[in-house]
Amino acid sequence: MKKIEGVMAQTNAPKGIDPDGIFFVQVDPAKCEACGTCEEVCATGAIQSINDDGIRAVVDPAACMNCGQCLVNCPYGAIYEGVSFVDEIFEKLQDPNTVVVSMPAPAVRYGLGESFGAATGTYVGGQMHAALRKLGFDYIWDNEFTADVTIMEEGTELIQRVKEQGQKDARPLPQFTSCCPGWIKFAETFYPDLLPNLSSCKSPIGMLGPLSKTYGAHETHTPAKDIYTVSIMPCIAKKYEGLRPEMADSGFRDIDATITTRELAYMIKTAGIDFNTLPSQQPDPILGDSTGAATIFGNSGGVMEAALRLAYEVLSGKTLKDPDIKVVRTHEGINAADVKVPGFGTVKVAVASGLANAAKLCEEVRAGKSPYHFIEIMSCPGGCVNGGGQPLDPDVRASLFKSTVAQINKRFRARRITA
Amino acid sequence: MKMNRRSFIKACGVMAGYAVLGVNMTKEAAAAAMGFVGLRQKSVYDADANVYKIRKSQDNPMIAKIYDHETGFLHEGPCGHMSHHLLHTHYVDRSARVKALKAKGFKFNL
Repeated sequence: MKKIEGVMAQTNAPKGIDPDGIFFVQVDPAKCEACGTCEEVCATGAIQSINDDGIRAVVDPAACMNCGQCLVNCPYGAIYEGVSFVDEIFEKLQDPNTVVVSMPAPAVRYGLGESFGAATGTYVGGQMHAALRKLGFDYIWDNEFTADVTIMEEGTELIQRVKEQGQKDARPLPQFTSCCPGWIKFAETFYPDLLPNLSSCKSPIGMLGPLSKTYGAHETHTPAKDIYTVSIMPCIAKKYEGLRPEMADSGFRDIDATITTRELAYMIKTAGIDFNTLPSQQPDPILGDSTGAATIFGNSGGVMEAALRLAYEVLSGKTLKDPDIKVVRTHEGINAADVKVPGFGTVKVAVASGLANAAKLCEEVRAGKSPYHFIEIMSCPGGCVNGGGQPLDPDVRASLFKSTVAQINKRFRARRITA
Repeated sequence: MKMNRRSFIKACGVMAGYAVLGVNMTKEAAAAAMGFVGLRQKSVYDADANVYKIRKSQDNPMIAKIYDHETGFLHEGPCGHMSHHLLHTHYVDRSARVKALKAKGFKFNL
C-alpha cells in the first residue's frame, strides 16, 4: 500500500487478468466510520453494509462500475484503490529500450494544478505537458487529439444512423455516447438489451492506444513492440477499460498502464519536479494537437456540444458561426434540448450526469418512449472534471463540522432542479 | 426638494456602499451555488473560449492529416475499414453475474 495524494493504493500492475474480478475500489474496515456517505453516492448499490455495525464494503466487483465517487466523497479516507501502475511506469521511464508515450485526458489539466496549490479548476495544460517531458516520457501525445477523432467517428455514426432509419437492419436511435467506462459497464450489466443503441466507437483513450502503436509507430519510425502507452485519467474506471481483453487491436496491448490525475501528481512530486516553475509547453503534434471541442469532453454535456459542432455543419452544409451551444451544458441531473439545424430540422438530445439519472433515460428507451436522437451519459456528476481519480475536494476531508456542513450544502444543491 | 452639496455627496457614498456590498454578496452566492465542480466546469469553458485557437474537431489540421483522402492513415474517412478495425468495438452482456448475486439474496438499486 502506498499513500498517493491522500488516497491509499495497492501498487501492482495487473497483466492478462480478467478485470471483472478486480476490486478497483474497496473499503478499509478499520477506517470505516459507518457514516453511509459512500452508499448514498453509489448508483448501483454495490457498496453496502456488511454487518450490524454498518461497516460498508463493495460486496462484489460485478456490481461496481469503478467510478470511485464513493472514494472521493468518503470523509474518513477509508476507501482505497486496488490497482496502481506507478512503480512499473517509473521502471519503464528509466529503461532506454522502451519508448514511453503519455496520453492525458482533457479533465486532467483542470485538476492537476490543485495538487500543487492552485485554485480549484485552474487550467494547467501547458505545465502538464512540460512535466510529462521532464518525467522522461518520449512522446507527449494527448488524449484530446483522439477526442477530436472520436467526434469525427461518433458524429459520422450518428448521421449514418439518422439517415438509415426506416431501412432494413437500421441501427436503432437514440445513439448513446460510449466515452465513459463506468457507463459502458453499467449498460453491459443492467441494460444489455440496449447495447445496439451504444455508439460502436471506442472512447478517446480506446482510440489513442491502438493509434499510438500503429500510426504513431509509423510516423515516428518506432517499432510498435517497444512502445509503452500510459493512459492518464481523471478516472478509476479507465483502469478497468485499459485491461479489457478486447483492447488489443494494434496487435499488442493497446493500453499498457492507466493512472489517475492524483497518481500523476504523485509521480511529479516523487521525481522532485517543481511544477509551479515549469514553462507552458505544447504536446507533440501528430497525436497531440487538439481543439476546444476536445477539451470540453471533461464536462457533462461536452461530448454532446462537440458532436453538435460537427453535426450542424455536416447536416446543414453551413458554417456554425458561434461554436457555443450552451443549452446542452449540464451541471447536474438530466438536461434535454432541441437544437435547430437548417436544412435538417430539429436534433433532439439529452445529457445525463450520474448513473442514477442514466437509468431514467435507459428506462425510457427500453419502453420505446425516448424521443431523442442522441444521449450523452457521464457516470460522475458534472462529468470527468469531477471524476473519481481527480484530486480530492479539500472540504470532504476537512474537520468533521466543516465536512458535515459541506455535505448538507451538497445535498441541498443536488435537490434543486436546474434548467 | 433641494439638495445641498454635502447631502449629495453623502447620498453618493451610501449608494456606492450598497453597490459594492450588493455585488460582493451576489458574487459569494454565485460562488457557493457553483461549488467545487462548477469551478472546474467553468475553467473548461473558459479554456475552450480563450485558450484553444481552433474550436471545432473538423478544423484540427492533424484531423485533416489523418483523414486525408490520399495520404491519410484513415484515408477512407470516419467509419471506414481501418477505423472499424482500430477505433470501433463491440460490447459484452455482463448481466449474468449480478443476476446470480441477486439470486443469492444480495440487493442492489437496479
